[in-house]
Amino acid sequence: MSDPLVVVRDLVRHFDVPQGPFRAPARLRAVDGVSLAIAEGETLALVGESGSGKTTLGRCVLRLIEPDAGTVTIDGVDVRALDRRALRAFRRRMQVVFQDPYGSLNPRMRVGTAIREPLEIHGLARGREADARVARLLEEVGLDASFAARRPHELSGGQRQRVGIARALAPEPRFLVLDEPVSALDVSVQAQVLTLLRELQDRRGLTYLFIAHDLAVVRQMAARLTVMYLGRIVEEGPAEAIYRAPKHPYTAALLSAVPVPDPDGQRARIVLPGDPPSPVTLPPGCVFHPRCPHPLKDDRCRTDIPALREVDEGRRSACHYAEQTTPLAP
Amino acid sequence: MSALLQVRHLTTTFDTAAGVARAVDDVSFDLHERETLALVGESGCGKSVTALSLLRLVEPPGQIVHGSSIRFGGRELLTLPPEDLRQVRGAGIAIVFQEPGTSLNPVLTVGLQITETIHAHERVPKREARERAVELLRLVGIADAPQRMRSYPHELSGGMRQRVMIAIALSCRPKVLIADEPTTALDVTVQAQILELLAELRDRFAMAMLLITHNLGIAAGIADRIAVMYAGRIVETAPTGALFREPLHPYTAGLLRAAPRLDGPARPVAASPGSVPPATAWPPACRFHPRCPYAWDRCRTDEPSLLDGGPAREARCWLVAEPLRRKA
Repeated sequence: MSDPLVVVRDLVRHFDVPQGPFRAPARLRAVDGVSLAIAEGETLALVGESGSGKTTLGRCVLRLIEPDAGTVTIDGVDVRALDRRALRAFRRRMQVVFQDPYGSLNPRMRVGTAIREPLEIHGLARGREADARVARLLEEVGLDASFAARRPHELSGGQRQRVGIARALAPEPRFLVLDEPVSALDVSVQAQVLTLLRELQDRRGLTYLFIAHDLAVVRQMAARLTVMYLGRIVEEGPAEAIYRAPKHPYTAALLSAVPVPDPDGQRARIVLPGDPPSPVTLPPGCVFHPRCPHPLKDDRCRTDIPALREVDEGRRSACHYAEQTTPLAP
Repeated sequence: MSALLQVRHLTTTFDTAAGVARAVDDVSFDLHERETLALVGESGCGKSVTALSLLRLVEPPGQIVHGSSIRFGGRELLTLPPEDLRQVRGAGIAIVFQEPGTSLNPVLTVGLQITETIHAHERVPKREARERAVELLRLVGIADAPQRMRSYPHELSGGMRQRVMIAIALSCRPKVLIADEPTTALDVTVQAQILELLAELRDRFAMAMLLITHNLGIAAGIADRIAVMYAGRIVETAPTGALFREPLHPYTAGLLRAAPRLDGPARPVAASPGSVPPATAWPPACRFHPRCPYAWDRCRTDEPSLLDGGPAREARCWLVAEPLRRKA
C-alpha cells in the first residue's frame, strides 16, 4: 500500500449523558480508541449496528464533531491542528454525503443554488462559470441540467441523493465520508446510486470512507472492511477474506444475520442473544462477551480486554481466540 | 380448500392535491390457513396500504372504493358494523407495524397496554388478564416478564418494543397475523431474532401470516408464497422457490438482480432504470413498460391481466403470452 491518504490514530470521543439533577453525568464511550488508514483511491467500509460509534467516528474524521483525543491526518495535514479558518479552507478537500438527503438539503433552496453554494464559499467559481459547473455536476451524477431549477420536494429519494452527491463533489474533494448513503433508498435505486458512486470514484480517483450497517451493500463497494462494536474495532481486513472466513464471532453473527434472497440457499443463522449493550455501561473485558457464542469463551473474555492485533496477513481481530481454528459459533 | 382471507378487486384511493392516487388498484389474492404470504415491492407500490385496507385502517382522505371485497372466514369485512369489525381486529386479524416506537402509547406501561387489549375483546377478570399478559411477554422472549409489565416503552430497546407489539398482536389469539415491515427499523442481529420469533409463533399457534416487506431475503426465508406489487397492482405471484428460480415478470427479475447479497457476484447487474412513478400518475397500459427492457408496442397500448404462468403462478406480463420475446 502506498502512503495512506487518511490516517486515524487512537481516536476517542466520549459524550456526557445527564442522569438527573443530583447525579453525575454518565460517560458514553461513542468512539473508544480507534485507529485506521485509508489508501488513496480506496474504499474502506465501516460497518456496525446502532451504538457502534461508526457515525461519530466518521464525523470526528471531518471534525464535524471534535474528537477528545487522537490524531487525524489527511493528505499529510494534521486536521486537528488546523485553526478555524484553515479548517474551513481544508473542508474543500473532504466532504460528506448523509443518509437522508431530505434532511441535509435546504427545502426552500433550489437544487442549483444548493450545488452552487460550496463553489461560492470556496471562491471556486462565480456567475456564468458557476452555472456551467452546476450543469456539469448535475450531468455527472446522472441528472439533467434542468434539475437546477427544482426544489428538493419535487425530487424522488434517489434524485435527492444524487443532488447530495453533486453538492459534495462541487468543491472537488479528494476524500468523501459516505454516511449510510443508500440506506433510505429502495433496492433498485440503491443499486443505481452505488454504481454511480463507483463510477465517480474511478473517474475522479476519490477515496471513500463508506459507513453502513448492511454487509450485503458494503460488499458491492469496499475492498477493505472495518467492523465496529461499541466504539471499538473488532475486526478489519480485506472484505472478501472476511466474508469467506470472519475472525471475530461478532462479524460471523452479523454475516449470518443478513437475509439470503434465495430460498434454497438458507443457511444456519447465529442468532445472538439480547440487544447490543448501551455504550454507557460497557461490559468489562471483551465488550462482546455477554452476547458471544464462541465455544472457547471463558473467564479471560470477562476480565481482559482483547487487543486488536494482526492475526493473519493484512487481517486484524480483537478476539482472544482469533488465532484458533475453532468454529466461531456452535 | 376455501381461503381464510379472500381479497377481491381491492382498490384504495387517496384524493391529493396532485389528483387521485390509486395506491392500491384492483388487488386480489387469497391467504390460506397456516400459509405465509409475502407481499413484496418497493416503497410507493401499495404494500402497506393493502395491509391497512384489510383492517379498514386507512384514514381519510384515503378510501376503499366500492366494488372491493375482503372476506374473512366467510364474512365480508367491508360492510361489517363497527362493533363486529372491532372483534375481527385483534381476535381475527392482528397487525404488527414497522415502528414499535410510534405504535405503543408512551405514557402507559407495557402491562397496561396488553391487558387493555385483552379487555377490549374479552370479558375476563383483571387477574386473569394480567396473568395472560405476563405469559405473552414470556412467549415473545422477554426476560423478567413480571417486572417488565411495569416498564414504559422508552425504557425498552427497539427489539424489546417490537416483541411487546407482537405480544399485543397475539393477545386475542388471531388467525391471521399481518406483519408490516416488522424488522425494518431494527439492527440486523435483532432483526434475525424477531424473524425467528415470528416464524416460531406462527407455527406454534397455527396462524396464517401476511408479511409485508421490501427485503427479498426476508421473504425467501419465511414465506410459502410471494406476491410482488408494482404501481398499485400485483404483478406476479408464485410459490417462493419458483419465484426465485425463475421470475416471470421483468420487475421481479430486476428486484432479484438488484438485491445486495453475500453469495454470488459481488457487484450485481444494474437494476431496472428509473424508479417507481407517483401513484397519481401510473403509466398507461402496462405500468412497468417505461422501465422494462423488453417493452414493445403491445405493452404500451394494452395492460395484461394476471396471466397463467404455470403451477400456482401468475404474472401480469405479455411475455407470458409471447415467451419468445424474452430471448430477443
